[in-house]
Amino acid sequence: MEIFRIDGLTFTYPTREIPALYDINLTVNRGDFVVLCGPSGCGKTTLLRHLKPTAAPYGKKSGNILFEGTQLESLSAYNAAAKIGFVRQSCENQIVTDKVWHELAFGLESLGLNSSVIRLRVAEMAYFFGIHTWFYQNVSELSGGQKQILALASIMAMQPDVLVLDEPTAQLDPIAAGELLSALGAIHQKLGVTVIMTEHRLEEAFPLATRVVALDGGRVIADGKPREVGLRLREQNMGMFSAMPTPMRVWAACCAENDGDCPVTVREGTAWLARKMADEGISSKQCEPALRTRINAPALTLHDIWFRYGKNLPDILKGISFTVHYGEITAILGGNGSGKTTVLSVAAEIYKQQRGKVIADKKVYMLPQDPQATFIGKTVSEDLRLIKSCPQEYSRVISLCRLDGFLDCHPYDLSGGEQQRAALAKLLLAQPEILLLDEPTKGLDAEYKRVFAGILRELADAGAAIVLVSHDIEFCAEYADRCVLFFDGGMLAENDTRGFFGGNYFYTTSANRMARTLLPHAVTVNDIIRALGGDAP
Amino acid sequence: MVRDAFAFYHPIVNIVYFTAVIGYAMFFLHPILLGISFLCAAVYALLLKGKKAFLFGLVFMLPLLLFTAAMNPLFNHQGSTILSYLPNGNPVTWESVLYGVAAAGMLVTVIAWFVCFNAVITSDKMVYLFGRAMPALSLVLSLALRFVPRLIAQAKVINKTQKGMGQKNNPIKTLSILVTWALENAIETADTMKARGYGLPGRTAFSLFTFRRRDGYAIAFISFCAVIVFIGAAVGSLRFRYFPTVQYHPASAVSVLTCIAYLMLCAFPIIMNMKEALHWKYSVSTV
Repeated sequence: MEIFRIDGLTFTYPTREIPALYDINLTVNRGDFVVLCGPSGCGKTTLLRHLKPTAAPYGKKSGNILFEGTQLESLSAYNAAAKIGFVRQSCENQIVTDKVWHELAFGLESLGLNSSVIRLRVAEMAYFFGIHTWFYQNVSELSGGQKQILALASIMAMQPDVLVLDEPTAQLDPIAAGELLSALGAIHQKLGVTVIMTEHRLEEAFPLATRVVALDGGRVIADGKPREVGLRLREQNMGMFSAMPTPMRVWAACCAENDGDCPVTVREGTAWLARKMADEGISSKQCEPALRTRINAPALTLHDIWFRYGKNLPDILKGISFTVHYGEITAILGGNGSGKTTVLSVAAEIYKQQRGKVIADKKVYMLPQDPQATFIGKTVSEDLRLIKSCPQEYSRVISLCRLDGFLDCHPYDLSGGEQQRAALAKLLLAQPEILLLDEPTKGLDAEYKRVFAGILRELADAGAAIVLVSHDIEFCAEYADRCVLFFDGGMLAENDTRGFFGGNYFYTTSANRMARTLLPHAVTVNDIIRALGGDAP
Repeated sequence: MVRDAFAFYHPIVNIVYFTAVIGYAMFFLHPILLGISFLCAAVYALLLKGKKAFLFGLVFMLPLLLFTAAMNPLFNHQGSTILSYLPNGNPVTWESVLYGVAAAGMLVTVIAWFVCFNAVITSDKMVYLFGRAMPALSLVLSLALRFVPRLIAQAKVINKTQKGMGQKNNPIKTLSILVTWALENAIETADTMKARGYGLPGRTAFSLFTFRRRDGYAIAFISFCAVIVFIGAAVGSLRFRYFPTVQYHPASAVSVLTCIAYLMLCAFPIIMNMKEALHWKYSVSTV
């Protein structure tokens, strides 16, 4: 039974000439788990917003959207609120009240249910999502992941027929993102709710999806089961393929046209790889990549740093010592609360350590996790001009960060990736030689991550020392020179990237997990592809 | 905080109780009534806050008590029993000393009651109680309680960020962007509210509190005691005059009854806590 039917939807934003969506025809059946994917600006969010009447964007629209057989516009306000659940990216802004229990009840209060019904529904959802342990807490005490679970649970309490989610994991770290996605899987599997979501963590979303719809330039370019979509995208040789799960990318680069089924999960990937290597007689010895050995002058040295936020609070940093060199990209990895962000703040002299020494060769600049906090001007160009620099430098940085089209926009009107670029531009204008970046790839799509890594590499090659704190293992594996693992305020391991990931079991890339028994030193997708004799992109 | 049996009563019971005891504590200057109220408030605060916080409070309270008690005879010269003379020739009277002690006792008692009030009536109970009167107001309060801490946190983040980027603190620009930030976020929050059906007719107000039978009994008991005290005071059985000479109504059946009622009223949470403790001890011993 179909739950949404979209007929010939074309949509143009005001002030734009090219339609954001062009002749979309799509049917979503009850019980589907649809993942919409595509590069930034492909129209996936615009399409998603059309499915929730209160979130629909303004603009010129033609075509029809039917929800359970009725026109979406003529759906009553009650049904629109109750039956179509909508979850957004920002975990902060979609929480309305100050208490967890009140948040769960908010939608039900709006629907005018009486107290005993609300009590039951709230309790049910609290159990389903494991919220009962923090049911009485203030919302401000929750972690980002908990907030997003709460947002999801408070929508689910209204018992919607369909759940529409706009990149719900974009602001979360991988562990929290995994939890949210498995909660979505449970909603889909156990409660039979139809799920439609956009997501850039395709690695984890693909195994859940029953259907993938790929968009590009406002058109549907592929629609079907995850494997089929992978196949179709490969045929079209789309750039967005770089966002696909690792096994699919390896498979696509190394296989002839009809070489069996496309692997989607790591498990399937390992099986496929073993078969492939046995068939073609590739031995595991062929993958012995060269190590990068370069030692430059030290830029920043931390010596035995101890830090805590308050007199009676626990130590966050417990005797950290490490050195960062010029011309190198160093990645700091580790779980939440391991002190990664704190160590950057201490190195940038935002906080003063209680013990130990920070020896910086030059001024240290730090880009925080939330790029929004860097802007204090009314337009991007006004904001950039707060930093004194020469005109050539302005134009160089603006083109490097691809900001030409956005100079007159308010910084808050930019998308997440654009904000990240504008913040980086602001930092670069100060001509820093020691840069600290906190979670710079959060919310960036695969395409822009590549561009971003290019900018970083260019800076490092020009001699800058770059330290990035990240949860993004794949990104660090691909672009960092050296990796450091933090745990509980101390440093556990430090090694060049290949040695670091090659030795880990869980805390490593999916390429390494997929190939670890077969190609022990393969860390990135390209490593595997090269080992199999394919052309690495 | 220590588990408090009284805090588990319905917020309406809590508010009725505190209105009565704080109201009476602000009016009665009769030494026995003051003593009852003071003792109950102190013991209840001790139960609620624990020994450490209580002793810490005492360090501030005692000087306040002594100071207020000492100040009165220096400026109040009414009364007929003269103890001595101040250097400026004004008399220090026995009555004004007594009155000073009583007034200081009242001040400290009321403060102690408010300490208990703050511990028992938490923000969600406050929101609920407001909501009984005006449902819209309670939602606004809840929104504000969420939004204000976020705003303060964001201001800090912006300041730290500017510092990390080597920028000088620019308060005017920071304030301006903070307002923009608040508006931006408020719009998105408003969208979320709408998406979850805010604005549909017939909105209800949910709360975790249910009014049980024992809440009814508690209200009845508290009101009963409060009324007896009121009547007892109204008929003048507890009249106590400080000036010009100390004079009071002699003890009578009515005054004794009133004092007992006042004690029962003020000690209600303590009695409930004791009852629970005994009950617990008893039920544990049978296991």
